[in-house]
Formats: sequence, structure tokens, C-alpha cells
Amino acid sequence: MPRFPSEQWFGAVAAVFNGDESYQGAGGGQCNCRAGVVVEAPNDAPADVFVLTFEGAECLGGQPADAAALADVDFYMQMPLADWQEMLGDIQAHGHATADHTLNSLDLNREEGLATSVHGDQYREDLFFRYNQTLQFFFDASARVKTARA
Amino acid sequence: MAKQDAKAAAAKPAKAQSATGKPTKKAAQLKQVAQPKQAAKGKQAAKPKQKERAQAKSSSQRVEDVSGGGTNLLTAVPEPKYDWMNKSRQWGVRVKPGKKGLTLGSLNVGIYGEVPTDWPDQSRNPRGAIPRHGMPPVGYAVRDKAAMWADGAADLYEEAIQRRWAPATDVPWDSIEPLADDVEHAVCQVCTELCQYANVDIEAISSWQHQMAYGYHEVKQYLATATFDAARHYEAFRKRALYNGGGLGLEGPGEVNRMIIESYGGWTETVAYLFLLRGTFTMTMLRYLERFAHNDAERYIYARVIEDKARHLAYGIEHLQYSIAHIQHQAGVLATVLFVGDRIFARDLRDPVLREALAIIFGNGIEGARATGLDTWDAMMRDFMSSLQETCAWLGIPRSAAGMPEAMRRYLPPDAAAEAASADIPEAAQAAAR
Repeated sequence: MPRFPSEQWFGAVAAVFNGDESYQGAGGGQCNCRAGVVVEAPNDAPADVFVLTFEGAECLGGQPADAAALADVDFYMQMPLADWQEMLGDIQAHGHATADHTLNSLDLNREEGLATSVHGDQYREDLFFRYNQTLQFFFDASARVKTARA
Repeated sequence: MAKQDAKAAAAKPAKAQSATGKPTKKAAQLKQVAQPKQAAKGKQAAKPKQKERAQAKSSSQRVEDVSGGGTNLLTAVPEPKYDWMNKSRQWGVRVKPGKKGLTLGSLNVGIYGEVPTDWPDQSRNPRGAIPRHGMPPVGYAVRDKAAMWADGAADLYEEAIQRRWAPATDVPWDSIEPLADDVEHAVCQVCTELCQYANVDIEAISSWQHQMAYGYHEVKQYLATATFDAARHYEAFRKRALYNGGGLGLEGPGEVNRMIIESYGGWTETVAYLFLLRGTFTMTMLRYLERFAHNDAERYIYARVIEDKARHLAYGIEHLQYSIAHIQHQAGVLATVLFVGDRIFARDLRDPVLREALAIIFGNGIEGARATGLDTWDAMMRDFMSSLQETCAWLGIPRSAAGMPEAMRRYLPPDAAAEAASADIPEAAQAAAR
């Protein structure tokens, strides 16, 4: 059972995501971007950083990276571990994210937002919105992945 | 046909005879077309008398003359010469599908990838084709690359085609259950407003699109999808308004709508109003509507429209960026354009209908609107102004808090307000204000 966050977990979710054609339907479809996932560790420990790569109709998985890699991604999503786990718990419970736990809601609700970038390039940052449903579908796919808590 | 074959065909025009000198099947058909009366005579036609045979021979000769000279276009098909087959600017260019398929952008190879900075050709000649002499001008007014271009237009076109959705069948309409009257009224009112916004998108884009030269087909094609997106938005919001018994509400004040449609200073000015100012506002509103949606159908609609609008915004800011990079003093011009636009936008904000309707949706009723809904409206406006200012700063468009109407300035984040206040108000903007 993969734990979140880990390369194995992102790989398992990517396998579910890539294997479900319904995620390519309305509002989904081809997606080309590199998105960072930053999981802030408790007790001021270094954050876990992963780079999610979407190419065409596929997610190529999430590779572990260091903070410097965030300069190269189109945007990254950053939350404390507890908030990520709460989001994933909501997805597990309902099969998909509900109102307070969608990526859009989290970006609005959180004072620091969810998605941002190092480079400040508005065009690249806005990929978070252009591909928002694909990103949501990806995390929703985690409902079908048994996840061990970190 | 291979090129050599085409050349040979062009060099030796085909005749309506076979190599043995006998009439071909085609020539026989031509004869029949040219002799309807004889064919109608039945047996007599089958055994023509000598005089008739002479007439037929003469008629046949006429048909052959026709095929060579084209004197009787109604009855004869001219023999093909294939001269046009020699006309290609670059023969042998091939494109192959990549991981994303055979995309519009991947066609930009060889001379077909040359995108000139201006396009004086006033015809509908596709880029890379050979112009036909003597074509009267169509009258395209927008012929400079800097006046419409965005590097990502071809990719945005593909994305719009690939990520389309259909309100009729994709939206889970049956998830809509009866709502309290005040909330239903509010949802219908907001849908009415969003229908108007979609109509303005359609009108504004299409009123410029036909003025854009064919040299920049990527932009024309992308904008065609943006128009279609807007038609889909109109459809979806109208359907939502009518689904639950509420129907359409009150027409919005529409001053910004008029400003967008009547922005005749150039497509770039329209882009600043339609995509940057109105687009950022609509995008922010949709994000809050998705957050506070009352059912899966609304959530579905708002989430998909957000993706569509994000593409519009992507084209808009990329075009403005290109325009600023290639036209002298363009950032200052755009600052003035927005200076004027801010005032009209602020006038629309004086109308309370949209604010009240949104507050009711955010607060889940009139009571909730008083308790939290209006605060959420304020938060939405702060997010809108923050996004607008960030985008303008990234584009290098100077904005001044001092030159901004109070109805907008009050929503600036404190740090942005201080930063904006230090910026100079362009002289032209000051003149416009006076």
C-alpha cells in the first residue's frame, strides 16, 4: 500500500487515471504541463517536492525533486501534509472531491492559496485553471488507491 | 498523383481520343449530351439516315471543338490540363503526427511556418498558397501580426477542440433539486448576466474576426473556437436558468458590454477590455460560483466554463504581451485604455443586482447574504483586483491606485495599493480623465 506522498503513490494514481477513459471526456482531455506538488512536513522538516508530468492524454507520474525544481514547473500546489491528507480523505470518502475540497475551493479558501509559481509567468500559472478538471480528475482517481498515511 | 506525372499531364494535355484514334468513352458521352434530339427519336435515332449521319458527324465535330475551345460551356466539359499542379511554393513538405496528434502548430514547417510581421495580401489566400492575379481586395483591416498574434494560438485551438463539452448531455441536470425561491431567483439572475457576457464575447470576437487577414490563420481559428465556447456558455447558463422553474431575470446594466463591443481602437483594445478586464472579473466570479454551487450540475457547468475562460484569458494576455513587445509605447496605450475602462467598469458596479444575487448564492439565501454573502462578495472583488493587478504588472502595464475609481480601488490589496500608488498615471490617461 503506497503512502502519500511518494513516487509509488503518484504512480499508482497515474495508473488509475490513465486507465479510465472517462477522465478524457467532457472537460478533461489532452493536458500538457508540469505541476509541482509541495507537501509541507510538520515540525519544520523539509517539504516533500514532487513533479507531476502530464503529456497528451497521460500522466507520466510524479517524480521526487528538490525545491530548485519548482523554478522549472508551470505552477505548483503547496499545502501542509495535514491539508493534503484531509483533501485525500474527502476524496476517499466520496469518490471525488466535494465542494470544500476541490482544487479550486482550496485555492480560494486558503489564505496563501494553493497554486502559485516561482517565475510569476501568468500564462504558465494559468495552466492550473486551463487544466483544472484534469488535475481534479487525477486527484479524484486516488479514491481507488488504498493509501497509507504518512 | 506524383509530381512527375502531373508535369507530364500538364505538358501533354489529354485529348478525348484514345491512342488508336478512336473516340474515348468520354467523347462518346459528350456526343450524347450534344445530341439530345436525335436520342429522343428512338428507332430513327438508332438507324440514322445519311443526312442525319452527316449532321451527327458535324455535331460530333462541334463537341470536339468545344472540348478544345470552350465555346459551349453548358453542354461540354473542358478537357483537364492540370496546369495548376505545377503551382506549389514548396513541394515535398511533410508533417507527421506526434504524441499530441497532427496539430495545427505542427504544420508550421518549411515556408508554411513563416509568419510575416505584416500581411499586405487582402485576399482570402491561405498562408503559403499562391495568389491568383486579379483578385479584388476583401478589405481586411487588421493585417499586422502585432495587432492580433499570440504564440500559443495554435495550441489553444487544439486544446479548445480537444477539451470541448456538451451542455445537453454532459451536465448532470437531474442533480438539480428545488432550491429556496430567493436562491433560485439569484441563480437565475446570475445566469442571465452570464448569458449577456457570453453574447458580448460572441459579438465582440466575431465583429473583429472577419477583419483579420488570413496570414494569421492560427489566431482566426482559435478565435473561432472562442466564439463557439461563448455560444456553449450562453446555452449552458440559459438552460440552468430555465431548468428549475425560475427562468431568466433582469437585464444587466450593460455599460461594460457596450464599451467592449464599441471599442473601435483596434483588436488589441478590445482584447484589453474583453479578456483582461471583463475576462478576469468573469473568471473570478465563476471560481466563486463553483465554490458555492448548490448542486453537481452547477458545479459541472462552472468548472468547465472556468477552463474555457482560462483559454480566452491565455490568448488575451499572450496577445497583449506580444503587442507590448512589438509596438512602441503600447504599454502606455493600454494603461490609458484600462484607465478609461476602469471608469465604465465602476459604473456597472454601482448597479446592485449582480452583487446582491451573488451574495444570496454565496450566503445560501437573503439572510445568509447579510451574514456572510456580502463579505464573500468583497473577498471575490479583492481576488479579482489582485488578479487584474498581477496580470497588468506582469505585462508591464502601469496602473495607479490614485487613478483608479474608488469602486475598484477599495478592493486593492494593501501592498498592491501602495505599489500601484507609486506608479505614474500616463499623461494620456490624465487627459482622458479630464
